[in-house]
This record gives sequence, C-alpha cells and structure tokens, in this order.
Amino acid sequence: MPIVIEKLTYKYQSGSVNEFTALKDIDLTIQDGEFLGVIGHTGSGKSTLIQQLNGLMQPTSGKVTVDGFDMNDKKQRMKGRALVGMVFQYPDHQLFDETVYKDISFGPRNMKLPEDEIDRRVREAMRLVGLDEDEFAEKSPFELSGGEKRRTALAGIIAMYPKYLVLDEPMAGLDPAGRRAVSDMINGFRKKLGCSVVMVSHSMDDIARCADKVIVLRGGEIFKYGAPSEVFCHAEELNEMGLEPPFAARLAAELRKKGFALPQSIYTNEALAEALKPYGKGWRNV
Amino acid sequence: MISVSNVSFSYDDGTPALEGVSLDVPKGEFLCIVGHNGSGKSTLAKMLNGLLLPSSGTVTVAGMDTADNEHILDIRRLVGMVFQNPDNQIVTTVVREDVAFGPENLGVPTEEMAVRVDEAIKAVGMESYAESAPHMLSGGQKQRIAIAGMLAMDPEVLVLDEATAMLDPMGRRDILRIVRELHEKKGITVIMITQYMEEAVGADRVIVMNGGHIVMEGTPAEVFRMGDELRAIRLDVPAAVEMRELLLKEGVADCGDAMTLEELSESLCRSLLKN
Repeated sequence: MPIVIEKLTYKYQSGSVNEFTALKDIDLTIQDGEFLGVIGHTGSGKSTLIQQLNGLMQPTSGKVTVDGFDMNDKKQRMKGRALVGMVFQYPDHQLFDETVYKDISFGPRNMKLPEDEIDRRVREAMRLVGLDEDEFAEKSPFELSGGEKRRTALAGIIAMYPKYLVLDEPMAGLDPAGRRAVSDMINGFRKKLGCSVVMVSHSMDDIARCADKVIVLRGGEIFKYGAPSEVFCHAEELNEMGLEPPFAARLAAELRKKGFALPQSIYTNEALAEALKPYGKGWRNV
Repeated sequence: MISVSNVSFSYDDGTPALEGVSLDVPKGEFLCIVGHNGSGKSTLAKMLNGLLLPSSGTVTVAGMDTADNEHILDIRRLVGMVFQNPDNQIVTTVVREDVAFGPENLGVPTEEMAVRVDEAIKAVGMESYAESAPHMLSGGQKQRIAIAGMLAMDPEVLVLDEATAMLDPMGRRDILRIVRELHEKKGITVIMITQYMEEAVGADRVIVMNGGHIVMEGTPAEVFRMGDELRAIRLDVPAAVEMRELLLKEGVADCGDAMTLEELSESLCRSLLKN
C-alpha cells in the first residue's frame, strides 16, 4: 500500500496575522518501492512536505494516509509513523547515546524486538552504511566526522526496517567521493530492504542518478511531477527558477538552441553522447 | 602577500594534518584549494590568519609571522575568514550591527564605521535587509552577511573555507558572483577552499591537497586534464569536464580544455555543426 496525499494544505501560524501557506493543494502518491526525488528552493515547501509523511506535522486541511493509516488521527498516526524512517540534514541533532552501537540500537529496542534480533539488525545496518563494526561500535557519536555521523544516523533508521525511508539532503556538505558512497549506499539498502525512498536534494545530478519519479515544488505547489525525463526536459524553466537541472539536460538545451536536433528526454551524459554520435562521425579525420 | 613555508601541523591526538606544505600567494591572486574531507585543506586555511599555528615551519602575512603574538591582530585585520556554517558566525540580532561587530572591535571611529558598514552591505547586495534579523535570512543570505562583516574590516585577503558547502545552487552562485566582483573591482586576494570543482574553474590557480600534502598545482585547465588522478584521490572534475571526457572516449568530439557549459557548447558547435 502506498502513501497517499490528498489536497494537502499546510499553513504556519494558521489564523494569525503571520499566517504563511507553506503547502497548497498537494496531491501525490508514493508507491511501494518507488524512489521519489524532491526538488525545490529553500522555502519551496519541501521540508514541510516531508515532515507530513511521518506525521511530525499535520495538514491544516487535506489528508495524508500511510498504508491506509490516517495521519490526522492520533492513534493511526503512531502506526503510520512506524513505517516511515526519517533522516534529517543535520545528523548531530539525531545522535544522543554513549556509543554508536547504542545509538543505532535505540530504534529497534523501542520496537521491543528480542535482543538477538536487535543485535543482528544493528550489525547489518552498520555494514549497509559502511561503518566498520570493530572500529566504530564502541566510539562516541561525538568523536565522529560529519560523514560518519550521517552514516550513524542513517544506520539507526534503517535498523528499524522502515517501509518508507525519507532523507533530507543526505549529501549536503559531503565531498564528491562521499556523495557517490551515499548514493551507492541508498541503492544498496533499497535493494536489500525493498523500501521506498523519498530524497530531498538540491542536486538534480544526484537525483537523476537514482529517482523513478521527481517532484519539483515552487511556492508550496507542485511545479512539475513525473519521470526524470519528463521533468528534466524543462531544463530552461528550471534553470530560470535557480534550480540546477542535470548538466546533460542543460547542455542539450543549449545545443538545441544552436541547431542540434536532440531528443527532449536527455538528462544523462551517456544519453547525450549517444545522441551526438551521428554528428561526430569522422571527426578524427577532419 | 601570504607565504607558507615548509609547514607541518598535527592535532592533539597526534594525527598529522599537514606535512611540509609550502605555498606563496601573491597579492591579487584568486587561488582555489581543493581536496576531499580530511585532506588538510581546512587546516591550511586556518593557518592563514593564525587561527592555528604551525607545529613546524612558518606562515607570514605581509611579512608578519603568524606565530608572533604582537602581529596577530594586524594579521587578522588583513585576512578575513568566512566559514562553512553561517549560523556560527552571526553574533547580533540586526544585520547592520552584525556587520559592524568586527570594525567596532578594531576601534574604527563611529562615522567611518557607518560608511564602511553601508558599503560592505551594498557590496554583497543586502541593502534591503540591513535592519532585518539575521536568523530570519536564508543560508546564502547569512553567508553574504558574514562576507560583509569581513569586508567592513577592510581586509586585503578573503579566505572562504567551504563557505558554499551548505548552500543551495542559487545561494552558491550568488556567493561566487560576489566574491569574483570583490576580486575584480577591489583587487582583494581570494583564497577559496572548496570541494565543488565548478568553483575552481574561474580561479587563477588551483592547488590540490591530499593526505596533508599539495599533490597538484596549476591553472584550472592544467589540473582538470588529470581527471583520473583527481578521482583516485576522492575528488571529481567539473560536470563539463566529465562530459568532455566521455565525448572523447566515445569518439564523438575532442573539446580540448572546455571546462564550462558555454565552452563545451561552443566547441561542439565548431566541431560538429556543419553549416
């Protein structure tokens, strides 16, 4: 069963003079096993949207259901929330226990799992996020580097086997190798656990690499939604909004203007190189 | 302007962060230092205004040794630093006061200070926010305020230590544009520490750090010809360079040293479009 969002509107300080509409009339379905990329500016409503997914915030109007559990209803919310794991942008805010091992085991322990199952899951989660057990299990989370903290926070969530994994800017501030590692990791446990992933990112290149569906928010509304090729073909519009479409989509748009006949669906380097091949025949001889 | 000579540095737990690093930064240069997390680039940055002192070797700024306590205030006046997390750099509740904080501490006379603060806020395009509360601003706007705070101290060198790492693409673009303007119009020496290879493309010189050493040095064009070497030390090349490498490998086109979307597009038009 999916997450279904119907006519969702959210207002901050609703009813006061400072009322601010952060989300307006959002309709969205997140299917089982799907990878959804969420893109938008600071202030576009993307953080507000993902906080609705586990009931951290409730709609001002409209409805969010997680596998049929109505997140407006207090009792059902707890059941829905148990299915959704959230990892926030600043991992420091999520870590609190004495050791990495204890921190990761906190969630599964709260789920009242038997001790041996907790232990198995903590070890598995550490392996999936690439934290060496011997090196890290007994370390204090506060001795870790930024990237390691993020992995620990992630491990704590995946040890709960969420059906939906929600990640807010998981790659912000990481170096290029770190970004690739996180991206491989997400794909790895998505395969292993079969969970859906909702990932917020500024980097469309990162999203282009793994998303099945992409949603672009603007001013609290859905600006674009669809398969990556359907969204990224609007490279120029996105560019004007200050969002940076994948490099290949931007270059393809520029080349089309110059007279190249290239399909609209291009958003990866490989597809662009392929489409340019007919033009490049025999350049070595020129 | 700045001279780093055979500098080594270890943190308290004994991990060496820099080993025998030497580097000269002439006045007016736009220098970019790249490296992955833990390569030593931020440690090097903190050496440049005496926030950290070398375990061995020397760092001099305009001839003054950073290890010499007498000069440290003069050095910090000359070398302004902007860090990664904007929230840690904001100290007051009104933008104007925040920008004035530095010069005020330097004992700049009130009248001159008002002029400096106005100019600095204007230079980063934040005039309409002068009376706003800093915590209400976006990350990019906060970083602009942090830069303005440095400018108000009238520095000769601006060191940006991953100042764009936590910003969205638009915030990053704004900061880059402002820094380039300051470099071109005011002749400020810029040292930019980053892991975004795109930001290194416009620099005069790029230095690549790995394991506490300088492992590559050259113009952006020279450095980005070494894509495989960069990837081997957990770095990347700009997106345009990655594309150009693929086009070459697939036998589609040879785009030379193109490093930006514009250069790549022009090169492809020249080589592939026959009118």
